Amino acid sequence: MRRTVLKAGIAVLVTAAACALPAGADAATRGGRMTYARYADSLFLDPVLNDANVDIWVLTNLYDTLLAPTRDGLGVQPGLATAWQTSADGKAVTLTLRSGVKFADGSPLLASDVVWSLDRARDPKAGAWSGSLASIDRIDAAGDAVTLTLKNPDPTIIPALATFNAAILPQKLFEAAPGATAEDKAKAFAEHPIGTGPFVMASWQRGVSMTLRRNPYYWKQAEDGKALPYLDELVFQVIPDDATRLLKLKAGEIDGTEFVPYTRVKELQADPALRMELWPSTRVAYLTMYCGPTFKDGKPNPLANAKVRQALNYAVNKDAVIGITTLGLGKPMRSYLPSTTPLFHAQDLYKYDPAKARALLSEAGFPNGFETSILSLSGNADEANNLAIVQQMWGQVGVKLRIEQVDNATRTARYRAEDFAMRTSAWTNDISDPSQFTSYAAYYPNIHSLHSQWRDERVDALFTQSQQEIDLAMRTAQYKEIQDRYAAAAPIVFLYETPYPVAFRKQAQGFVQIPLGNNLFEAAYVDK
Amino acid sequence: MNRAGLVAARLLQIVPTFLAIGAVVFVLARLLPGDPVSAMLGDRATDEAVTRLRGAMGLDEPVWAQFLLFVGGIARGEFGTSTAMRVPVTALVLERLPATLMLTALATLLAVTIAVPLAFVAATQAGRWPDLLIRAVFQVGLSSPIFYVGLVLLTVFAAGLRWFPVGGYGTGLAEHLHHLLLPAVTLALSFSAVIMRNLRASILGVLTAEFVDFARSKGLPRRVVLLRHVLRNALLSTVTLVGLHVGALLGGAVITESVFAVPGVGRLMVDSIFARDYPVIQALTLVLAVIVSLAFLATDLVQMWLDPRLAR
Repeated sequence: MRRTVLKAGIAVLVTAAACALPAGADAATRGGRMTYARYADSLFLDPVLNDANVDIWVLTNLYDTLLAPTRDGLGVQPGLATAWQTSADGKAVTLTLRSGVKFADGSPLLASDVVWSLDRARDPKAGAWSGSLASIDRIDAAGDAVTLTLKNPDPTIIPALATFNAAILPQKLFEAAPGATAEDKAKAFAEHPIGTGPFVMASWQRGVSMTLRRNPYYWKQAEDGKALPYLDELVFQVIPDDATRLLKLKAGEIDGTEFVPYTRVKELQADPALRMELWPSTRVAYLTMYCGPTFKDGKPNPLANAKVRQALNYAVNKDAVIGITTLGLGKPMRSYLPSTTPLFHAQDLYKYDPAKARALLSEAGFPNGFETSILSLSGNADEANNLAIVQQMWGQVGVKLRIEQVDNATRTARYRAEDFAMRTSAWTNDISDPSQFTSYAAYYPNIHSLHSQWRDERVDALFTQSQQEIDLAMRTAQYKEIQDRYAAAAPIVFLYETPYPVAFRKQAQGFVQIPLGNNLFEAAYVDK
Repeated sequence: MNRAGLVAARLLQIVPTFLAIGAVVFVLARLLPGDPVSAMLGDRATDEAVTRLRGAMGLDEPVWAQFLLFVGGIARGEFGTSTAMRVPVTALVLERLPATLMLTALATLLAVTIAVPLAFVAATQAGRWPDLLIRAVFQVGLSSPIFYVGLVLLTVFAAGLRWFPVGGYGTGLAEHLHHLLLPAVTLALSFSAVIMRNLRASILGVLTAEFVDFARSKGLPRRVVLLRHVLRNALLSTVTLVGLHVGALLGGAVITESVFAVPGVGRLMVDSIFARDYPVIQALTLVLAVIVSLAFLATDLVQMWLDPRLAR
């Protein structure tokens, strides 16, 4: 086991070195400012208590974790810890802290900061994410070594230490923040966060812009041995309207923007002044089906029958959906897991076959189809496109789809109440491990498999075993079986994966977005 | 009633309006399906996490207890903390309000400046080509959707000609005005069409009044008759219209603020409704209600100035 870990460690280090810097980094310009437009502002920059991607995706620029996800999202690389080792029984992890690391205020990173930060992050009373560190029983520090003693072997603990909520904060500064309770202190601290990340907050005008300044104490170095980051200043501007963001980019008022609508990608690709980037993501779009025997009103649910759900999958031409909604930028889902997830197992899922769909519906007792409904997000063009196509295709096999457009909070409330027939859904992973999405999508006890009431006891058992399985081959086999069983039972209509579409002016380079969504600006720069 | 008395009475009237609106908004916000927690945690939360966060936010308290807390807070001038952004609501609203007020004021000013002279020309030239031309142009303004006009203006004057920045708000008064001019024009276009049509009809009506014939027969110059007697009387209904329109203009600012990335309360309101951020929704509604009430008061005062009989 130890050898495996070390080998994996070496492989990861090599990968890390290879992708530490963009090609041609010798030409990187130091200094200056980059302005990046975001569709929405961050809400709460506390790694433990935040709830949304608008926070998670930028936290990496302020805070570091002991380990960091690799650029391909499949593994981990050194972060504030330079090495890590799992004991033979899998019940202890020892990490070696990087020496000489300082927080952005110049104070040294101490082992006690690590213990305190992880204790705070794993406190079940704090935050929605504490579950990722739940296997930790005790954390001890001795010199530059930090040892996590686990309640049980946990294959997810290493990627969990590379996930945003395990960020290391300066205990003293946090505790010195004004406020009577820990939550008040968190609020105050998150207004002027101090971490060991490449940047530090200079100013934040909510809903308008956030200015991050270079952290002079940042530990990471560029290939030339000089300190990162390259930029003196990184400005996030909040521009909610897609069209306005692109106009600003074309006018040269900003250097880059996130969330380019698929319909504009080709146009930007053809613009010689710009560079369209499509980063591999963990984003999947699918339709969740309620699988319980009856609906809330007591009426029987045709979707309870696996054959019906399979039929609905066969009746969707995914290539057509991808062609129309994503203009060919997406690719069909090959598992419920995004293809950039570790232990992803590719399958050919429900190739378009309306005849087979009709046959399955007949076998299930619905030769003339049935009527059903779907909750979708009002104002979301992609979902509207998807559903218009799906509605038409299902119509051809006799299934009539009623589309209910609601806002997100309404959709979520009805989802939690399990008061829906179908709903539109999308997912991105937060951790380089299949367990997070599996715990929501396939493992019943957590949230009734996406509140669908779909339950496969074998899947539940496999998942429980896999959560303590430290033999990679065994865990791979468990995940293969989970993915096979999930695909056959089809509690969702599998649609597509899409990349993260971002665009930059030609002069602005070095940005990285990893499949988990994290925006990395440490090696970004703007040529003069 | 004299002017001072009217102002005092109106200001007093704002208080019960304020309370009634506060209660209605408090209830309406909670009648929306979902709550701040479902909006915040999205699809990733377990029931356990939801329960914990609801407890932390005090949402598991009975609604009447939450209402008492809310009213008590207002009495102390506190609107609570934003559930989505975790910052005091008062600071948030005060930070966002100036942009919207400036945008609305600028748009109103532009609309009136554009509409009044043109309505005057159209009415005095009724049926002739200047009238037809003015009405045709304004018809286009009236029937164009705000977000579309906004994008066209941005594309031509900001991204194309570079006369203006593409959205944003800038820092300092001069930059604010520079940034807000295009969004104000966007809002003013449709609003000026409304004012123009109203004022033109009103002038035409007044022109047939006997006191106008009398003024003419006295031998007053045409300019004096038109400005002092016709326009002043015709403006009465326009002033009412402008006052009533302030609310609509604040509503229109929601779209304009999104297209032009203006950090105003319109955008904050939309974001807060989506996030079910009750404290922010409540505070903003109350603040906007006060602004609209004050606009009505201002309308009455201007009317009294135009028609002193109203002040008696």
